[in-house]
Amino acid sequence: MQHLRAIGQTGEVKRATAEEVRARIDRVWERLQEEKKGDVKTLGERLEVRRE
Amino acid sequence: MEKPVRERIVDSYFWKDQCFAVNEADIIDRVVEHVKFVGGTYGDSQKPSPFLCLAFKLLQLGPTDDVLQEYLEYGGEKFKYLRALAVFYVRLTRKATDVYLFLEPFLEDKRKLVMRTRTGKRLTFMDEFVDSLLTKERMCSTTLWKMPSRAQLEDEEKLDPRISPLGDIENLLDSEPEEIDGGDG
Amino acid sequence: KNWDDEEEDEDEVDDTDDLDPEAEYAAWKLRELKRIKRDREAIEAHEKELEEIERRKNLTEEERK
Repeated sequence: MQHLRAIGQTGEVKRATAEEVRARIDRVWERLQEEKKGDVKTLGERLEVRRE
Repeated sequence: MEKPVRERIVDSYFWKDQCFAVNEADIIDRVVEHVKFVGGTYGDSQKPSPFLCLAFKLLQLGPTDDVLQEYLEYGGEKFKYLRALAVFYVRLTRKATDVYLFLEPFLEDKRKLVMRTRTGKRLTFMDEFVDSLLTKERMCSTTLWKMPSRAQLEDEEKLDPRISPLGDIENLLDSEPEEIDGGDG
Repeated sequence: KNWDDEEEDEDEVDDTDDLDPEAEYAAWKLRELKRIKRDREAIEAHEKELEEIERRKNLTEEERK
């Protein structure tokens, strides 16, 4: 396996369909939005704390 | 892609670590996480960019047109570097009329891209990147196959004339572009 | 991470979009116009070339000398 890895052999990879590709796009996008929201929230919380 | 470049790719750490057992869907994670600029090889060691490594991965995977459309359109709207990768791949693998038809809509995409060349990083734009792919002979350390020009294909009636999103350009061309300039060009 | 071990902050280029949408649109419009102009000039140059070939073909032997 190690030598296959070294030459970048694809190995047994299941091909993805267009639908699966779209689903992955959505998933990655949502994950990024969640991360962003997380950032905003902490900023919002900080502001709220300051206001009190 | 020339052999020395391919060899540098499969020798690179990024390739071994990030491009193993990756399918058409996994590529999206890799692009979003690691592709921060377009480009070929760079630096004294001519290190291949993640962009180039993933382009090579696509060459191995040979995605179908359906999958490419997802990269270009739906995914491309969300992730600009995914679109950049897909247009580069289309330019390398599809026939001339398809290259024009697939790529030209993105001459409207004005989003910024970072391009890394031998001399450093600079700002470019999706439309400029696409235009270069359509008109240049070499991009991202890769020789682009010689395509007939758009005019040639129009003469052979293989393509309809392109209509610019700016619409009727006759009037626009009467005024010099310099006068219309509102940005930093 | 070994592959982005570069001096990343040395020449960072910001690719954030929509910082100034109006200026970004104007800059795009200028690029698009330049492309249209370039393509058009290429076609005109090509047509002139064809005309010149045609003209030479029509010259008599005498005129050609």
